[in-house]
Amino acid sequence: MEFTFTEEQEMLRTSARDFLETECTEKLVREVEDGDQGYSPELWKKIADLGWLGLVYPEQYGGAGMNVVDLAVLYEEFGRAMFAGPHLSTVVLGGMVVLEAGSDAQKADILPKIADGSKIIALALTEPESAWDMKKTWDPEGVTVSATAEGDNYVIDGAKLFVHDAVVADDILVVTRTKTGGDPADGITLFLVDAKSQGVSVTPLITIAGDKQCEVVFNKVKVPKANIVGELNGGWAPMSKAMQVATVMLCAQMLGAGQRLLELSVDYAKTRIQFDMPIGINQYIQEHCVFLLRDVNGARWSTYLAAWKLAQDEPCDFEVSVAKAWGSDAHEHACWCAHQVHAGVGYTVFDGVVPLYSRRGKTLQLYMGDTAYHKEKIATILEGWPGPEKPKGEPLGLWKEIPEVRWIPEWWNEFDKGT
Amino acid sequence: MDFNYTEEQEKLRQEVHEFFSSNLPSDYRPRGVGGTGTTMEQFKFWMDLQRKAGAKGYLTPGWSKASGGLGLSDMEQGVVAEETSYWGATWPGSQGIRVCGPPLHVFGTEEQKSTFLPGIAKGEVIWYQAFTEPDAGSDEANVSLRATEEDDHYILNGQKTFITAPGPADYLYTLARTQDVIPKHRGISLFLIDAHSPGISYGALATMGIFTVDIFFDNVKVPKTRLLGELNRGFYHAMVTFEFERSTTGAAAGARRGLEELIEFCREEKRNGQPLLKDPAVRDLLADRAIEMELSWLQGWFAAWHFSQRDKLGSPPPEAGGLHTKAVSADRAKQLINAMGLYGQLHRGSKYCKYEGRAAMGWMSSRSTHPAGTIEVNKIVLAGRGLGLPRIPAKFNKEIRAAVEGVEV
Repeated sequence: MEFTFTEEQEMLRTSARDFLETECTEKLVREVEDGDQGYSPELWKKIADLGWLGLVYPEQYGGAGMNVVDLAVLYEEFGRAMFAGPHLSTVVLGGMVVLEAGSDAQKADILPKIADGSKIIALALTEPESAWDMKKTWDPEGVTVSATAEGDNYVIDGAKLFVHDAVVADDILVVTRTKTGGDPADGITLFLVDAKSQGVSVTPLITIAGDKQCEVVFNKVKVPKANIVGELNGGWAPMSKAMQVATVMLCAQMLGAGQRLLELSVDYAKTRIQFDMPIGINQYIQEHCVFLLRDVNGARWSTYLAAWKLAQDEPCDFEVSVAKAWGSDAHEHACWCAHQVHAGVGYTVFDGVVPLYSRRGKTLQLYMGDTAYHKEKIATILEGWPGPEKPKGEPLGLWKEIPEVRWIPEWWNEFDKGT
Repeated sequence: MDFNYTEEQEKLRQEVHEFFSSNLPSDYRPRGVGGTGTTMEQFKFWMDLQRKAGAKGYLTPGWSKASGGLGLSDMEQGVVAEETSYWGATWPGSQGIRVCGPPLHVFGTEEQKSTFLPGIAKGEVIWYQAFTEPDAGSDEANVSLRATEEDDHYILNGQKTFITAPGPADYLYTLARTQDVIPKHRGISLFLIDAHSPGISYGALATMGIFTVDIFFDNVKVPKTRLLGELNRGFYHAMVTFEFERSTTGAAAGARRGLEELIEFCREEKRNGQPLLKDPAVRDLLADRAIEMELSWLQGWFAAWHFSQRDKLGSPPPEAGGLHTKAVSADRAKQLINAMGLYGQLHRGSKYCKYEGRAAMGWMSSRSTHPAGTIEVNKIVLAGRGLGLPRIPAKFNKEIRAAVEGVEV
C-alpha cells in the first residue's frame, strides 16, 4: 500500500496550479459565468496546447496516454481554480465513450479533434421526467427518448434536460431508447448527433452556478446509422463506464474546491478581528474549521481509491459510490462551514470566492448522482454481501443470554478489592 | 499509489485468520470482554485465547522477538490489527499492550523491561491505565494523586477514577504528582505499581458501556525502582503511547464485522412481510456505516503508511477521521434503535429481545465519546495543533474562572 503520487503527477499538479492561478482567475470565472458560452475559447485553446484535452487518450489519437488517476490530479486543480468549461462533457463523457466503444474510424476522426480543441461534445442523458426522481436520473430506467430505424437513418424524438454545455457543442452524444421491455439497460443506444442537425433546438437554463445546462429538444432528428457509438441496444455499458470516470472527476473537483475553502476559512479565522481577538479563537468557529478538515480529508483518499481502481480496470461500483456519496454531502457541508466562518463576507454575490465555490459546488454535488442516489447504490451492493464469517472451533455454549441486567462483570466478585 | 496488500501481507493475514478461525468456538459472539454482563466463563475464555495469541506473538507483533513480539513492520502490524478486530477480539490485557508497553520499551530500565514486558507480550497479565482523576479528566495535567519521596520509595495518596477494568488488575500504570510546578505537566511522574500493594483499594464504577473502577491510594509504598523514566517527565513519557500506537487499521475491520452482522440480521428479520433490509431508514443507516467503514479503512492505512515513512515524511498531516467516527457514532446508534420500533429498548436477555439487544447496548455506550478525550477536546486540539488556530492563553484561565465563580482574582 502506498499513498503517494508519481513524479509526473506531482509535476502535473504543480504546473496546473501555476497555470490556472494565472489564467483562470476569479475575474475570468465571473466573466464566463456572465457570458453565454460557459467557457473561454482562449483558455480552451491554451489547455489544448498543454495537452489537457487529450490527457487520457492514446498517443495515436493525439493524446498523452495518461490514466484516470492523472486525470483526477488535474481535476482536483480544476476544482480549486473553479475552472469552467466543457472538459467533463467533451473529454470524459463524450471522448471516453468513443474511446471505449467507438469504431476505429470514429476514434480516428473524433479523438484527435477533441485533443486539439476543435471539437466540443455535450452529453444528452437526463430527461424532464427522470430529473425529478434521483433514483432514476442516472440509470437506464430514466431513458425514454426514442430512436426509431428508418432506412439508413434513425429518427430521434424527444426532449433532454440538464444537458451541460450544449450551447457550444459541435456534437451531442444522445442516450436513446431503441428497445423496451425487459432489462432497462438492454435497449440503450448512443448516437453522436451533429448539433446543427435539423430539428435540434437548444435552450440554456438559468442555474445558480451560472453554468450552461440546457434543454435540448430533438424534433424527429434524422441521424445516420453510422453515427451509432458502440452496439445497437448495447450503449449502456460504455456509457456507465464513462459516467463512473465522470463521477470520480466530480469528486476530485469537490476535493480541490474543498481544500481551498479550508485554507480560506482557516486563514480568515486567524486574521479577522472582532472583540479585539481573531475570530478563530472562538470554539464555534474552530468547530467549523475542524469539520471542514474532516470533510476534505475524507474526500481525498476515497476519491483517489476510486480513480486508482478505475485506472486498474477493476470493478469499483462500491468505491465510486462511496466517494461520491461522501464527496457530495461533505462538499455541501464544507461550503456551509466556509459560509459560517466568513459570515457576511461569504454571502455576497460580486466579491469574494466563497459564494462562487458554494453556488458552483451545488452542481458538482448533483451531477452524476447526489448522496442519496449513491447511498442507495451502496445499500443495494450491501444486500449482496456475505454474512459474517463463522469460526470453526467447537461450540462452547458460553454466550447464552442471561435473563437479567448485569452492569458488573462476574470476575469483580472474586477480585481482591483491598478493603 | 497502490491500495493492494502485498503477497507477504496476505500470507500473514491468512496465518492470523486461521488462528482466530480455529480457536474461536463456532457459537461465540464478538462482544469482547469489557462490556457489561461479562460472565466468569467468558472472561476465562478470553484470557485463555489471549495467552494462545501471546504465544504466537500476535498481541505485540511490532515488538522485537526478544520482547515477545514478532518484529513485524508497521504495515504488517496493521494487518494483524485488522484480523484481530475483525473477529472482535478485545484483549483483557490491551492496556498493557497498547498503552503501557510502548513507553516501557523506550524509558524502562533493563530490570523493568525484563520484569514486565514478557508478561504483557505473553498475555498473562492485566494492566490498568490509571490516569484519570476526579479533577483530571480532559485536563490530564491536573493530576493530584500525590507521590512523596521517602527513603528508597514513594508514598502515594489520592484517587483515580473511571479506570477501564476489563478484568482483575495485576498492575497499575499510574500518573502521579511529584512536584507542584507551573506548568502543571512538568511535575508528573509515571509509576509501575503492583495492583495489590497494601493501601490500594477498589470500588466499582459501572457505566452505560464499559466497566470501570475507582482506585483509592492510602499511604501506598512504591519502590523507587518502579518509577518509569525520569522524575517529573511522566506526562511527556506517556505521550510516546500516542506516537507508538498509530496503528488504527483495526477500526475498519471491526466496523466491517459489525456491518456484516447487522446486514445478516436485517436480511433475516422481516417487517410488513419484507426483510428489514428493504426498509429505507435501515438502508440509509447501512449505507452510512459502509461509507464510514471505507473512510476509516483509508485513514487507518494512510496513518500506518505515513508512520512507516516517518523518517522521510516527518509527522503526519492533521487527521479528523477518528473525530468523525466519534461525531457520528451517536447518530448511528440512534438510527438503529429508532429503526427497531418498541423492540429497540429491550435489553439483551429479555423476552422478545431482538438482535441480542445490540441496538440498546450500542445506544447506551454511544452516550459518551470520552475515551481518549471527549469529542469537544478532540476538536479544540485539532483546531489548535492541527490547523494553527489561536487558543485562549493559559494565563487568562484564572481570570475566566474567577469571572464565572464571581470571585476576585
